[in-house]
Amino acid sequence: MTRYMLRRLSHSVFILVGISLVTFLLVHLSGDPASLYLPLDASPEDVEAVRASLGLDRPLHRQYLEFVRGAVRGDFGISLRHREPALNLVIQRLPATLQLAVAGMGVAVLTAIPLGVVAAVRRESPVSTLASVAGLLGQSMPVFWLGLLLILLLSVKMRLLPPSGRGGISHLIMPAVTIGTYSMAMVMRLMRSAVLDVLGRDFIRTARSKGLPERLVIYRHALRNALIPVVTVTGLQFGVLLGGAVITETVFSWPGLGRLLIQAFNNRDMPTIQAAVFVMAVMIVAVNLITDLAYSHLDPTVRFG
Amino acid sequence: MLSARRHSHVSQGMSLLLVLGMIGILVLAGCGSRPAATEAIEEESELIIAQGVDATTLDPNMHAEAPTTNVVSNIYDSLLIRDEDGEIRPSLAESLSNVDDHTWELTLRDDVEFHNGEPFDAESVRYTIKRILDPENNSPQAGDLSAIKHVEVLDDYTVRLITHQPFPTLPAQLVDRQMVPPIYTEEKGADRLSSQPVGTGPYRFVSWKRDEKIVLEANEDYWRGTPSIKKVVFRVVPENSTRIAELQAGKVDLIVNVPPHQAEDLESSPDTRVERVPSTRVIFVATVSDEPGPLADPRVRRALNLAVDAESIIDSVLQGNGIPLQGQPVTENHFGFNPAVDPSGYDPQKARDLLAEAGYQDGLSLEMDTPDGRYLMDKEVAQAVAGQLQQVGVDVSLNIREWGVFVERIMNRQTAPLVLVGWGNSTFDADATVYPWFRTGQRFCFYENAEVDQLLDDARETMDEEARLQTYHQVMEILSDDAPWIFLHQQMDIYGVSERLDWTARPDERIEVFDADIR
Repeated sequence: MTRYMLRRLSHSVFILVGISLVTFLLVHLSGDPASLYLPLDASPEDVEAVRASLGLDRPLHRQYLEFVRGAVRGDFGISLRHREPALNLVIQRLPATLQLAVAGMGVAVLTAIPLGVVAAVRRESPVSTLASVAGLLGQSMPVFWLGLLLILLLSVKMRLLPPSGRGGISHLIMPAVTIGTYSMAMVMRLMRSAVLDVLGRDFIRTARSKGLPERLVIYRHALRNALIPVVTVTGLQFGVLLGGAVITETVFSWPGLGRLLIQAFNNRDMPTIQAAVFVMAVMIVAVNLITDLAYSHLDPTVRFG
Repeated sequence: MLSARRHSHVSQGMSLLLVLGMIGILVLAGCGSRPAATEAIEEESELIIAQGVDATTLDPNMHAEAPTTNVVSNIYDSLLIRDEDGEIRPSLAESLSNVDDHTWELTLRDDVEFHNGEPFDAESVRYTIKRILDPENNSPQAGDLSAIKHVEVLDDYTVRLITHQPFPTLPAQLVDRQMVPPIYTEEKGADRLSSQPVGTGPYRFVSWKRDEKIVLEANEDYWRGTPSIKKVVFRVVPENSTRIAELQAGKVDLIVNVPPHQAEDLESSPDTRVERVPSTRVIFVATVSDEPGPLADPRVRRALNLAVDAESIIDSVLQGNGIPLQGQPVTENHFGFNPAVDPSGYDPQKARDLLAEAGYQDGLSLEMDTPDGRYLMDKEVAQAVAGQLQQVGVDVSLNIREWGVFVERIMNRQTAPLVLVGWGNSTFDADATVYPWFRTGQRFCFYENAEVDQLLDDARETMDEEARLQTYHQVMEILSDDAPWIFLHQQMDIYGVSERLDWTARPDERIEVFDADIR
């Protein structure tokens, strides 16, 4: 197990180096930040001076080495727009994004798993139909549209929740539902078909013929086996949630990483883009690692060594 | 394996339920009662303003953006201010006079303190101006003051600004230059000034949560009097529709950048209203006429102007939220506007004739660049212009560019021969528009005319107001005839305002909370 973990960790380092290289190249190829850094009427000499002071006049590979040297020490440079260390900006916004992603995941998992199980066990019931509708709507509704619809309904018409911003629990409800809906639909459909699949297996028939109560059959045997694919997908959904945060954060004025990243892209704020992408990559890699470990724990047939 | 049996359960009942569910959502969203809007904001003298982006810094000397100005102009004061009518008035400087063509003498108020108790005096002025000009600081405002050669402190409350050459627009440039405290800034550093600003203005800084909100409280000892609104919150709400929902839900009092097609909702509600004001921003299509090609011929440029109906674009694309330009690049609020210029108007037949005269009776093809989302309905305006040019046989292929790419192409002079641009000029003086755009060798000058160059240089160094005005009138005559731009419109700034707020929109985009009141 330890060797497996070490190997996985070293893979993760390679992935992060790869991501940093790709981000660096894409950002540098997409344009020159100096022209956006100054007002439109700045003189060409001013632009040159800024390029030099940002180190943009040096060859690309030297800029990359410089970047890596700093990044290893946690120094991604000074944000061009905010004139503050880029990593600080990212870390300031990290709690908001994590809160949103975890709440969204919570909404998704807590509704998807029971709904999926019930829909599979009682295949002809209204719950099953409801689950199918929720699954279809959840996966086909654009996040943006769902968010605005919730705001119109719950804030403007019914005055139940604040339309946007970060504050107490009441501020979190709509963004969490919005960001979690897609994953909820995804996980629920998967859960339903996984349970259906497991229920048809021989060991379930054996359990039933032993005279085990149906509840125990479902909880002890069917659920545990059905959860294996669901855990994997849930882990992958975390990455989807972080990506979805960009839109949800914009709609709900949520002061998170996604919005920082969008603004940084618009302003070609290279240090901030690199720091934000790197931190997001670290989180996704870490969650994938944890998922893999959970997977091997849940499924005794998966053992790496 | 996992999905093998899923589809067998899709029944007709489900699709019916789906349709009913969707209708239900739409119905719920479409009706419902609207309780009083103002219940949500608890404190009576608290004002909440929602802007699309956060301030980038609270250091007033190190930015060049309107959303940041809106915040810092409530914390700091400048030497001179502009009143609602656009007239320049004394502020921290009680008076301003010319000792000679190169020397301006400012007499400062002697009763002003910064929020930390530091006195405001001549040294604050010297320090602030030097700070903006110091190349080490990379201030985006340095260009505005580059004419200043030297700042001379005569006594505690008298300063002289000495310019390299006569610089008649200096007062306009001083309007937006806010004074910072020298001792605080030197001791604590620029980073501290940026995150915990100290000014002389009507509001003191309380807190700043990045991308969330900035909180200010009234400066009870303010030298112009005690502000009637006691607390101001600047919130960041990036999405237009969400900003409108915040206003409708009564959670904010004032929102900026209302899209024209959503203004009507706010106007029809008893709790909210819309404030419109002609902005200093003009929208136009610049032509690259200093390179060989059809656009080098003034007849072609004139034809393009005749072919475009700015009024119909304003009506159809902007729902009336614009004012047509009068055949010249500045608005009637700008010094230098020439009321005698006769705009060419809309005449497609004449346009076709002119094109034929220039040898393009079979039409011509041109490329055009436009940004997307930078100005009010910019892409849509560009599409309308292209459509109208098509009518006279000018085939326009439109390139919609991401802003960063768009700017870079202009900066490197690689732009398409037609390019839709918006230009804001809050100095209210023609110079800040016509010099960069029509003086050969300037960054945005894609036009060549030696006579205009000479006139623009002369105007820059003429201290006599009347003579300067005459010079600009001449420039406007020439530009109207020579048509280096397709003149489109002056943009409107649209604000959504809660009925409980007594506030009038200003043409310079500023939100001066000191002048506002809560009913």
